[in-house]
Amino acid sequence: MKRYDLIVVGAGPAGLSAAIEAARCGMRVAVFDENAKPGGQLFKQIHKFFGSKEHQAKIRGYKIGETLLAEAAEAGVEVFLNATVAGIYLDKELLVQRGEVMEHFKADTIIIATGAAENMVTFEGWTLPGVIGAGAAQTMMNLYGIKPGQKVLMLGSGNVGLVVSFQLMQAGCEVVALVDAAPRVGGYGVHAAKIARCGVPFYLAHTITKAEGSNCVTGVEIAQVDDDFAPIPGTEKHFDVDTICLAVGLSPMSQLLKMAGCNMVDDPRRGGQVPQVDENGETSIPGLFAAGDVSGIEEASSAMIQGRMSGLAAAAYLGFLSEQDKDNRLADLEIALDSLHQGMFAPGSKGKTIAKTDEGIAVSQSLLKKGYLDDADLERFINRSDQTDKKSGIHPVIECTQNIPCNPCQDACTRGCIKVGKTITALPRIDAANSCTGCGMCIASCSGQAIFLVDEDYAPGYASITLPYEFLPRPQKGELGIALSRSGRPLGYAEIIDVRSAKAYDQTTLVTIKVPVEQAMTARFYQPETNAAGQ
Amino acid sequence: MTRISEHPILGETEKGRRVTFFMDGKTIEGYAGEPIAVALKAAGVMVHRYTQKAHEPRGIFCAIGRCTDCVMIVDGVPNIRTCITPLVEGMKIQTQDGVSGLEVSE
Ligand SMILES: Cc1cc2nc3c(=O)[nH]c(=O)nc-3n(C[C@H](O)[C@H](O)[C@H](O)COP(=O)(O)OP(=O)(O)OC[C@H]3O[C@@H](n4cnc5c(N)ncnc54)[C@H](O)[C@@H]3O)c2cc1C
Ligand code: SF4
Ligand code: SF4
Ligand code: FES
Repeated sequence: MKRYDLIVVGAGPAGLSAAIEAARCGMRVAVFDENAKPGGQLFKQIHKFFGSKEHQAKIRGYKIGETLLAEAAEAGVEVFLNATVAGIYLDKELLVQRGEVMEHFKADTIIIATGAAENMVTFEGWTLPGVIGAGAAQTMMNLYGIKPGQKVLMLGSGNVGLVVSFQLMQAGCEVVALVDAAPRVGGYGVHAAKIARCGVPFYLAHTITKAEGSNCVTGVEIAQVDDDFAPIPGTEKHFDVDTICLAVGLSPMSQLLKMAGCNMVDDPRRGGQVPQVDENGETSIPGLFAAGDVSGIEEASSAMIQGRMSGLAAAAYLGFLSEQDKDNRLADLEIALDSLHQGMFAPGSKGKTIAKTDEGIAVSQSLLKKGYLDDADLERFINRSDQTDKKSGIHPVIECTQNIPCNPCQDACTRGCIKVGKTITALPRIDAANSCTGCGMCIASCSGQAIFLVDEDYAPGYASITLPYEFLPRPQKGELGIALSRSGRPLGYAEIIDVRSAKAYDQTTLVTIKVPVEQAMTARFYQPETNAAGQ
Repeated sequence: MTRISEHPILGETEKGRRVTFFMDGKTIEGYAGEPIAVALKAAGVMVHRYTQKAHEPRGIFCAIGRCTDCVMIVDGVPNIRTCITPLVEGMKIQTQDGVSGLEVSE
C-alpha cells in the first residue's frame, strides 16, 4: 500500500493550495481528482476575479488555475487524475478508483477539498434534453468550445447564474431571460448590470412552470410566484428556447467526511451538511481537514486561503512546521480571509435584507429587481458632489454600489483618482483632486465591468464614453452602431471613435463611443447594428 | 453553428484530429479526444437515451460524469457516460433504449 504524509482529495483551488503549502514544508503529498483535468471549478471561470491583490483579484479564473498547477509541480506535489476517492476508513486509509482498478492508499494526514455539487429543482418537463445545469453550460462552452444552445433561459440570479449568463452571451448564445423565484437578485449587482445592459430582462419573483417539447426543449413557460413561492395563475409567460439552464445553488460534497466519521452539522449559511471544523479546517478527527466549498460554499479566493491554512496546519500536525512558524503564517492568512468575509455578501449576511451600504447610502432597489441602477440611484451614488469630477475633460464614472470585497480599481489607477481604502468592501470613491489621463487601466482591471470613462466635452454637443467590451466581433473604429442604456434599451446611433486593446487589459477591449451629450450618463453599452437588426 | 469558432476571451478552441464515427448507423464527424457528447451536440443530437420504464428521452445534463443522463451504447457496451468518454475514430454509438440499443430503421 502506497503511503504519503498528506493525501488531498480534490484538485480544485482549495486542494491544490493545500498541497502546495504542505509540500513546501517538506511533506510528501499526493492529490487525487476524479476529473481528467485538474483545477476544479477554476478552468471554467473565464472572468476576472474579485478580491484584492493578495487574493489574485482581476486575474481570470483559468489563469489562476494555471499558476496553481505550475506551483504544485514545482513543489513536487503528485497529482493523480481520473482517480475517484471512493472511501475513507479508520487510520486514514483511502480507497481510490482509477479506471477499473481499486487501490488502497495510506496517509498520515488527509485534506478533503471535494468542492460542491449543483442543486436541482423540478418542474414539469425538467428531465427533457435541453434542461442543463449551469456547470454543464460552462463545461461545454469554456472547456470544449461548444454552445450549450442557441436561445437560453437562465434560472437563478446568484453569482453563478449571472456569470454563466454573461459567459453564454460571450460564447454567442442568446439569453432570453433571467428568472429567479426570490424577489431580489442574489448575486453581485455589478454582475447583474453587465447582463442587463445587454438587454437581458430580469424576472424576479418568477419561476419555471414547465419546459415544453416532446423529445427535447422547444420552449419554456414561467409564472410569477406569491410570497409562498406558489405560481400565480394568469401570470404565465412563454419563451421560445432550446435550452433551460439551472443555477439554483450549490451543496457541499461532504459525503467522504461523513463516511470518515467526522462530526457533521447542518448549516444553511454554509450551504447544507458540513463538517464541524476549527479555524484551520481541522475536523473532529485529528489530522483530517476540510477546505474550500466542501466545508461551506464560498469563493475560489477564500477556498485558496482555507486550503493554504489547512496545508500548514497539517504540516504542523506532523512536525514539518514548528508551532510558532505555523502561528505566524496562519495569522497573515486569517487577516486575508477575514477581509473577504466583510460586506453585504459576507457568509454572516446570508438571508438578511440590507437597506443601506456601510457608507449609509440606501441601496439600489432597481439593481436588485431589474439588474440596473435607475435615475434616483445615480443621484445617490454617482452624482454626489464628492463623486463627480467637475473639471472638464475625461473622468471615470464608477457604478459599483454594493459593499463587495474588491479593490483592483484602486491599484489600477497610478494617478490616485480611485480610492477604496483599507477595508476592501468599501465603495470605491473618485478623488477629483487628481486628474485622469484616460489610460483606461481602471476599466480593464474592474472585475465587475463597472467603470466607464466619460468626457462631456468631447466635441460640441457630443460626449465620448469608454466602456469595457468582451464580445466578438470586436467593433472597428469608424463603425456606426447603437448605444444602449443600462437596461439595454436602444438610445440611438453611436459612432466608434476608438478601440483599444493591450496586453495589460487582458482580453478586455476598451471601446470609445461618441454619443449626443445628453446621453453621457445614460449610454452604457454598444451594439453593432447587424445584431440590432437581428433582434 | 454550435461550435464556437472564436471566443472573445479564450481565442480559438484547441481541437484534435477530425475523425468520423457512427451514430445509429449514420456517419458523423467530430474531433478525436473530445467527449463523445460534445461531438454529438455539434451534430445536433439531443437525445442520448430513453428511460426503461417510462420511455422518456434524456440528454446531457451535468456534463461532468455525475448524473448518468447521457449514457449510450458505445462499441456495444451500454451505460457509457458520453460526456466524459473521449471520442475515438470509428466508434459506434447507439441511442440507448432502457439498457439495450434503440431499434433504428436504416
Ligand atoms: C459560475 C461560477 C463563477 C464563480 N466565480 C467566482 C469568482 O469570481 N471568484 C471566486 O473567488 N470564486 C468564484 N466561483 C467559486 C469558485 O469556483 C469555487 O468556490 C471554488 O472553485 C471552490 O474550490 P474548491 O477547491 O473547494 O472546489 P472545486 O473547485 O469544486 O474542486 C473540487 C475538486 O474535487 C474533485 N472531487 C470531488 N469529489 C472527489 C472524489 N471523491 N475523489 C476525487 N476527486 C473529487 C472534483 O472533481 C473537483 O475537481 C465561481 C463559481 C462558479 C460556479
Ligand atoms: S483612466 Fe487611468 S488615470 Fe483615469 S481613473 Fe482610470 S486608471 Fe486612473
Ligand atoms: S469598481 Fe472597483 S470595487 Fe467595484 S467591481 Fe470594479 S474593481 Fe471591484
Ligand atoms: S451528462 Fe451527467 S453523466 Fe454525462
